[in-house]
Amino acid sequence: MEFYDIGLTLAFIVFGAGVIRRASHWFCLRSSGSFSFTFAGAARALIADVLLLFRTLRTSPLRWAAHCLVFFGFMGLLLFHAMDDTVTAAFFPNYEPTLDPWQFLRNLFGAITLVGLVLMVLRRVMQEKLRTLTRFQDWAALLVVGCIILSGFLLEASKIISPVVFDDMVYEYFVAEEGRDLTALKAYWTKEYGAVFPETLPMDADTLEHGRELDEESCADCHSNTASAFVSRPLSMLLTPIAPALDVSRAHEVFWSFHVLFCFIALAALPFGKFFHPISTPLNLLVRQGRRDGAPMSGRARKVALDACTRCGECSLHCSVAPVFSVLGNENILPSEKLLSLRKHAAGEPLSDEVLKAFAEGSRICTECMRCTDICPSGINLQDLWLSSKAELAEAAPEPDRAVRGMSPDKWTSCLVEAEGVKDILPPVSGLADNAESFWACVQCTTCTSVCPVVAVSEDSTRDLDLAPQQIMNLLRMGLKDQAIGARMVWSCTTCYKCQEHCPQNIRVADVLYELRNTAAARLRAADNPCEDKGDLS
Amino acid sequence: MTTDNKIYDVMVIGSGFAGMAAAAFAVKAGLNVVQTGATGGIDFSTGFIDLMGVHPMSEGKRWKNPWQAIEAMLKDHPKHPYGYLSAEEIRESVDMFTGFLSESGLEYVGHDDRNVCALTPAGTVKRTYRLPKSAWKGTEALEKKAPTLIVDFHGLKGFSAAQLAETRKKTWPSIRSARVAFPGSSGELFPEHMAWALAEPANREKLAESVMEHAADVEYIGFPAVLGVDPKPVMAHLEELTGKQIFEIPTLPPSIAGPRLRAAFDRGLPSRGVRTLSQKMVTGVRIVDGGMFQFDVGTGVAQTTVTAKAAILATGRFFGKGLQADMKTITEPVFNLPVTQPESREAWHRELFFDAAGHPVNTAGIEVDDHLRPLNEAGEVAHENLYAAGAILAHHDWTRMKCGAGIAIATAFKAVRGLTE
Repeated sequence: MEFYDIGLTLAFIVFGAGVIRRASHWFCLRSSGSFSFTFAGAARALIADVLLLFRTLRTSPLRWAAHCLVFFGFMGLLLFHAMDDTVTAAFFPNYEPTLDPWQFLRNLFGAITLVGLVLMVLRRVMQEKLRTLTRFQDWAALLVVGCIILSGFLLEASKIISPVVFDDMVYEYFVAEEGRDLTALKAYWTKEYGAVFPETLPMDADTLEHGRELDEESCADCHSNTASAFVSRPLSMLLTPIAPALDVSRAHEVFWSFHVLFCFIALAALPFGKFFHPISTPLNLLVRQGRRDGAPMSGRARKVALDACTRCGECSLHCSVAPVFSVLGNENILPSEKLLSLRKHAAGEPLSDEVLKAFAEGSRICTECMRCTDICPSGINLQDLWLSSKAELAEAAPEPDRAVRGMSPDKWTSCLVEAEGVKDILPPVSGLADNAESFWACVQCTTCTSVCPVVAVSEDSTRDLDLAPQQIMNLLRMGLKDQAIGARMVWSCTTCYKCQEHCPQNIRVADVLYELRNTAAARLRAADNPCEDKGDLS
Repeated sequence: MTTDNKIYDVMVIGSGFAGMAAAAFAVKAGLNVVQTGATGGIDFSTGFIDLMGVHPMSEGKRWKNPWQAIEAMLKDHPKHPYGYLSAEEIRESVDMFTGFLSESGLEYVGHDDRNVCALTPAGTVKRTYRLPKSAWKGTEALEKKAPTLIVDFHGLKGFSAAQLAETRKKTWPSIRSARVAFPGSSGELFPEHMAWALAEPANREKLAESVMEHAADVEYIGFPAVLGVDPKPVMAHLEELTGKQIFEIPTLPPSIAGPRLRAAFDRGLPSRGVRTLSQKMVTGVRIVDGGMFQFDVGTGVAQTTVTAKAAILATGRFFGKGLQADMKTITEPVFNLPVTQPESREAWHRELFFDAAGHPVNTAGIEVDDHLRPLNEAGEVAHENLYAAGAILAHHDWTRMKCGAGIAIATAFKAVRGLTE
């Protein structure tokens, strides 16, 4: 049992240290914001949100079913099987794992956990969007739990058919009075319990009846019929053809080792990444007490919230700006992925320039529409998390709008036009500014400028905006896009579309201005752009 | 994309003078009207309603009496669109149109039997039949040669008070000019923004103050036409502040006249029951049961489908997109009607850009029967229920003849009459 003790000890040490490390984040900072907590609310949250998973039910009945199956199945196994010495035996003094109902329940709990896991895997595979979001830890969590269950079933199945296990038991608990006793017991166990022996046994009624009596005497107190192990018994029948090989290699011990090993892995992994959610998510649900608002929270509640993500991906599936992700490809636009960066950022881990830029872009593109916060089955107040980090990120990696507006024409020429390789960079949706046909009909009538509310509110449009809309159209018509791209008119456009609506020549003025902005943004985004660290913002 | 399931009596295609007039006349005649059209030439209008100013073009002869001008012109150009109407009908149409505008808050004035002389930003005098009330006192001042100050603004391009005064000085010695700063603005100025700014009374007070430094001994003050999108209260206030007679002179296009006209129609048409699909163009047309027209209007998600028993094609000429010219030929894009045009591309233009006789391409257009129904290649009525009005008709050069608004209004009137008879 050295392996078991050492393994368990190590797993517990890792688990304990990890939990302390994570929980320490929750307590290390003084709570500032208001924090409303009532015991009635907590009790309600415990029943509705933690035990009955009501918030998950809001996302989809199927996902709720899958999670319930895994949750209740695994909890059943944990309490009545894994912790049988302390829990089950305490309540049921005659407890034996091989007796019914325990044998049956173990199979039942294992089976429903497995069905739940299969549903979870299918959800991640079938939903294309979710599949792309699924990372190593998501598969790892499903895999570890799956391996525990499967190795458990294999262990039980291999024990059912194993003559070695039978012999050990006989050696310990059975005294043969006659020579035929052992043969009769073996025959009975072969027929009724599914054991598989290398030798051919007599299967006549007499022998079996004798075997039944012996079984009654010596075995039945601790062994129910393995038929109630409705997963393991059929599984053992599948293994029958290779039974001798399994027996020689003492497969049941191997399966036991694996089963225990996976349990240790799960225990040790519990404080890491999403493995922590069985602890952190209920805690967060208790803190939130059923609320789905985005009101500012205390610093401590924020820390708990950061840890509560189960990476179910519902927030990203409901995200209003997910289409922007499909265009820009920046995962930090999606809430579930942005949360990973935010967690690192909040923990004070230094982010590389590239990650920081992507994270800031994701933060900027968020429209604060609240959909992620409303849907989150873990009750995470994502809105508050986004808002609390937004200003700091905007400072760290300014949006192109602010960056370009703060640049002198000299500066934006060097950043957006002359910097190496930027000239060829275009936004994902383009084709107006570089296409002469977009402008050939322009008669420079100034209608676009006349109706422009941005020009109208400017006290001195020449000074404040550099160029008027019709002048920008004229530059583009002459192929001078690079001379127009940083003009403050481009960056001050509110995209009200009055210019485009009123243009007598149907020129897509607003679309063009927008495209210019996207072009500049794409150029600023491009790697090794020298403007990133030089930006002097006023 | 949406579908309007109502069947309208008439679809008016176009939102220039002709389209607006047709919609106004049709709704007055009790029809169910739907109207569409993007911004076209109307934003480039002076706001004046010309009936007939010049004939023959090559001589540049200007007429005091438009009715005599029409008579003389029709002798030389019998196919000119005015030939489809009697003088009485033309008179009735213009009166009905200005009546509609004044009911919508935009007043027009003029004489019944003669043209008015109006000032232009270049200082020349233009003859027109009806002009907005805001310009009326300018014609008085011009007639009386009264002591007048013409004001312009730093930053407003295309309007020079000094040039205007200099041009008129010989016959109008008491005319003077002054350039002032426009309240609250500097840099380049645009008429529409200035008009919005003057909705604010404080800006009018500042303006009056700076103008009065130059206006001690004048009777009239003439401004570029920027005195409010609704000029009535702005001008009344300025007259009160200055104690002078105030008038407007048109600016170069796009001037405030377009937004004022559009605003009047926006007030007047929907309130009388016209369904307006504004800022949209017809992108497709089909003939459906019983010869009705089904139109696709606009593009993309904003596209609407409407059905009408009849249609009035008032899409204008080139700038209004009623006619399309490519490198070889001129076509009509909505119904693909045949277009009367010079034989070849070489014959479109004369050699000199400012040739007084004008360019042949500018009389291109579609042919119609006596009821203004467009003709097909065979010279027969193309659709029994399709009428045409305005600049799209062939055989006129309205820019040089000074008959643009008149043709638009008169033929719109005739088309609606054909529709209701």
